Amino acid sequence: MSDPSPDAETGAHRLGRVRRAIDLVGSMVRLHPRLFAVAVLGAFVFAVCTVAASFAVRWVIDHVILPRFEDGAVATAAVVGGALLVIGIGVVRAAGVVIRRSFAGMTQWRVAETVTRDVVDRLVRQPASWHQRRADGDLVARAGVDVDAAISVLAPIPFTTGTILLLFISSGWMLYIDLVLGGVAVVVFPLLIVLNVVYQRRVDRHFDAAQDHLGSFSAGVHESFEGVQLVKAYGAEQRETDRLAAIAGEVRDARVRAVRLRATFETLLEVVPSLTNVGIVVLGAYRVRSGDVTVGELSSVVFMFTLLVFPLRLIGYTLSELPRSVAGWNRIRSVLDDPLEPDPVASIGPASERYGIEVDGVSFRHAGEAADALHDVRLAVDRGEVLAVVGPTGAGKTTLIEVVGGLLPPRAGAVRLAPGSRSIVFQEAFLFAGTVGDNLSVGRAHDESVLWEALRMAAGDDFVAALPHGLDTMVGERGVSLSGGQRQRLALARALVRRPTVLLLDDTTSALDPTTEAIVLGNLRTVASATTVLMVASRPSTIALADRVAFLVGGRLVAVGAHRDLLGAEPAYRSLVEAFEDDRAGDRSGVSGVSGVSGVLGAATIGSDGS
Amino acid sequence: MTEPMGRFTAVDAIGRGLQEAPVLRQGIGVTWLLAGVGAGGRVVVPVMIQQAIDRGIVGQDEVRVDLVGWFGLIAVAALVVAGIAQRTAIVRLGARSERALYDLRSRLIGHIHRLSLADHNDERRGALVARVTSDIETLTQFFQWGGLAWLLNGTLMLIIAAVMLAYNWALALTVFVVALPLAFVLHAVQRHLSRAYDRARARNSEMLSAVSEIVTGAETIRAYDAGEYVRGETNTTVKRRADAQIRANIIGAFLFPSGEVFSVLTVSAVVVMGVWLGPASGLTAGAMVGFVFLTYRFLEPVAEFTEVLDQTQTAVAGLRRVLAVLDMPTGPPQPAETQSLPSGPLDIEVRRVTFSYRSRADRALTDTPVLRDVSFRIPAGQQVALVGATGSGKTTLGRLIARFADPTDGEIHLGGVPLRSVSNAELRGRLVVVAQEPFLFDDTIAANVVFSRPGARAADVARVVDDLDVRDWLDALPDGLATRVGERGDQLSAGERQLVALLRAGLADPDVLVLDEATSSVDALTEVRISRALTRLAEGRTSIAIAHRLSTAARADRVLVLEDGRLVEDGPHADLLMAGGTYSRLYAAWMAATSASGVSVSGA
Repeated sequence: MSDPSPDAETGAHRLGRVRRAIDLVGSMVRLHPRLFAVAVLGAFVFAVCTVAASFAVRWVIDHVILPRFEDGAVATAAVVGGALLVIGIGVVRAAGVVIRRSFAGMTQWRVAETVTRDVVDRLVRQPASWHQRRADGDLVARAGVDVDAAISVLAPIPFTTGTILLLFISSGWMLYIDLVLGGVAVVVFPLLIVLNVVYQRRVDRHFDAAQDHLGSFSAGVHESFEGVQLVKAYGAEQRETDRLAAIAGEVRDARVRAVRLRATFETLLEVVPSLTNVGIVVLGAYRVRSGDVTVGELSSVVFMFTLLVFPLRLIGYTLSELPRSVAGWNRIRSVLDDPLEPDPVASIGPASERYGIEVDGVSFRHAGEAADALHDVRLAVDRGEVLAVVGPTGAGKTTLIEVVGGLLPPRAGAVRLAPGSRSIVFQEAFLFAGTVGDNLSVGRAHDESVLWEALRMAAGDDFVAALPHGLDTMVGERGVSLSGGQRQRLALARALVRRPTVLLLDDTTSALDPTTEAIVLGNLRTVASATTVLMVASRPSTIALADRVAFLVGGRLVAVGAHRDLLGAEPAYRSLVEAFEDDRAGDRSGVSGVSGVSGVLGAATIGSDGS
Repeated sequence: MTEPMGRFTAVDAIGRGLQEAPVLRQGIGVTWLLAGVGAGGRVVVPVMIQQAIDRGIVGQDEVRVDLVGWFGLIAVAALVVAGIAQRTAIVRLGARSERALYDLRSRLIGHIHRLSLADHNDERRGALVARVTSDIETLTQFFQWGGLAWLLNGTLMLIIAAVMLAYNWALALTVFVVALPLAFVLHAVQRHLSRAYDRARARNSEMLSAVSEIVTGAETIRAYDAGEYVRGETNTTVKRRADAQIRANIIGAFLFPSGEVFSVLTVSAVVVMGVWLGPASGLTAGAMVGFVFLTYRFLEPVAEFTEVLDQTQTAVAGLRRVLAVLDMPTGPPQPAETQSLPSGPLDIEVRRVTFSYRSRADRALTDTPVLRDVSFRIPAGQQVALVGATGSGKTTLGRLIARFADPTDGEIHLGGVPLRSVSNAELRGRLVVVAQEPFLFDDTIAANVVFSRPGARAADVARVVDDLDVRDWLDALPDGLATRVGERGDQLSAGERQLVALLRAGLADPDVLVLDEATSSVDALTEVRISRALTRLAEGRTSIAIAHRLSTAARADRVLVLEDGRLVEDGPHADLLMAGGTYSRLYAAWMAATSASGVSVSGA
């Protein structure tokens, strides 16, 4: 963190990395220190018993096997004692492993739980504006793969600690038996650790590359299958297959490279300890001849060395995993350490008695943009009034809804709302994985009749009644799949369940067919007549339901007034609405002369002129 | 999600897998031999120790260092040979399995692209993607770790068993008998363990879904003050995940130690047995020591084997699912003998067509027909609108004409040739479908347009842009044709995506155009551009529009009205309106709903 420069692998840099790794482990262990301590204890038991096991082997060879085969006899007590010694030590050693692994697992996953809860807490408490500046997948990764990466280092740490202890005890033990034989073993240990670390680092690079290619392959396959109708429509099946196969080929090539590297190192890691053992035996022959060691002592050094090969590999693994854990932990911290932004809702004041919504000189700018998305917007909506927001694409309609709804904080100006609850319905209906009822009540207790009434108003009661379990039907990922219109009706009903005093609709009804839309908006008018409604409208039929229209262009409020007045007074508004109607101008030849079908724009204009 | 999975036994699946991926079988004998030599390296040290003790150290008047030195040299040579053999075996197995899986993957993708559209709905897409990605990955994992372990450890255990038998059959049998129950213990632990891990995986994905709801539903959650509610629900899943993982961990903690306990039991049994047999049986001190080492080495891979067994089961399950997809029939069958379409504009004749969607569960059982006995003829160059309420069968009829499926009964002819006899390549060159929600690749507009004619030049694209009169739109975009459209085209509005799709269709220059009109609302200016481009695109081609906006129907030469899968009306817009039937009712409702002034007038 305080590294001066990233230029090279300087000593300071390495030291910084080690310190970060220690910080990481320290801050995670602090969350559940007792579990961790028990795990380390288990590892120590294991280490001590490993040394003891080699002692037992030596004892059995010197006191049971050699007497029997050299001298011809051995006391039964020695045989039984030797067997019990070997078994007893083995059982305690196994118990050490059970304790270490169980408690290491508990440490690891309880830490994961605590950290994930903290991340979730942040995700819930940061306002929508914070979320909008971040990619969804990225945030999910913080609580998912990043936590998993950070904690992955915790599992092998007790073992590593135990192994380091083991290394010291056994090195001491082997040196005590014989300085020469022990010396050979002690020199080879660090070599093996280095070999392991180098191996893990290098092979990981290839596996990471393969993983990256696999990621683009999965994305490509998903896209291609999603567009399968298009692929078929243009007979491009083979072309798409070839394109994806090329990416799969890169996965294969990276993997083959990794396999080659792995084969070399696996073999080295197998052969080097064996060669060392051969060396120890040859040297041992000298030492036995000179009378410095017994055959049992020689065997026990070989045995001990063999036992240590596997734990050494794990040390290498742990060390090479550390950078990944540190990276994951840093990404988690970036979310946890991000200061909480104030909730824009808190800045919403009460509107004066006459108005449902007051927008007072509001400006808003999206992060990283040079221009305001909303600029000095002043708008007052009477209580119970339905106001449509109309404007071309990019006019700031959705932003206006989100600022009024308390999702985005205004840069300047203020929003005031009539007291009571507000509901927002978005363009894309978001449904939680859960039952229809859960989705309507969102964590509050509501009477079923209230839910059904809201559904009826949103023209959703019929389809919900037809679902296999009615309100208890599961929707979302693992439930029934609903059409866009059905989802939108549920979202509308959810908004109405709370009997909002302010209802904000962001082009909500566009997923409904015009007839249903008219019914739903009619219901809103009659039943929820006290509710102030601000709605983004893109269809003439939607506009027609509003008392007044606010015409928004380029983030500025151009005009507010009745639809017919705006048609006359605002040429830009007129051309925007007419553009839609133009599409229907083609009908006019067919329509003319047919009674009962009226309502092309021309008629409306004449009507408004006449009134 | 429910492929017929039970059709393959494990052995069948592996057999079929080898058939589908012949690369795997090539040279497998040599690989195995090399692995055997490599595994032999692992008994070098115990054997050398035995030889050194027996011949060089114990029972001699003087320790024979020179002899031990020779043994050492031989051991080093043996280790080097074994190392080279092992490395070669690993590389051979790894490289071949990767090549085999690449082949399998490519075939699978090709097969899935050719499956019928009915097998490609949204619910199944994830499953199909998983077949090509994660299921094949289970096989990769298997070959990289499990397969290698089978090869190396299996061979090693065989070799050690042989060496032990050669030393002393009685001691060897002691080892086998005492260690045998370990296999059962490990198997039992493994069964519990894999269930526990399945559970942990399920809990993990529950947790991830909950977290992703917090993120993707951020606005909805805030709009409904549901933060506390989702936090509570999510934290429950977080805890349940930790619990499941811990449980699996504890079960797993017993796996390795059981091997350990059996090791010491077996070693003790060997010592007791050896002492009881004594030197009279021909057993030596060196052999005894060697045996102790061999016993440890013999049992070492057993614990690993149980993990490998689990991985093997997973891989076989993945293989089964992959094979099941390869066995799914592909879309409409290709004709054995093709007939060419006549050149120039094409007419379409639909003859007594009936269509029912087959229900998946039982192929014999069919749902009620979506289309019943529909017949009509569209002369070349005519522009027709298909109209009807939702569920009337108009979309299905469009799909049949585009041959995304074949009629259950009846026939469709294109230019006088039965559709079933036209090759797919020719059909796709002459007939183009523009979907309701056009799909765009995450690439530039130009790349998406050129998709319909790979190799088209910039000039061709420019010509189509002018033909369809959308240059002003493209010029207003930041990078014109080079503008990136984002995932599924989400950087563009719904209307703009349709414009790209129309350009794409225009570049293909088809004779027949099947157009599934969009239902979603589009801003007015784009709407105008779309209908202008559409009119230009349809000019001079036979076109069928599946019309949701009746303004489209009003502009068509002829309107076909479907009701409950039957063709109920057929004629020009004006005539049908006069007739006062189904169409005039649909039209009146549509006009009332889409007219701003109509409602406000009645409200005044």
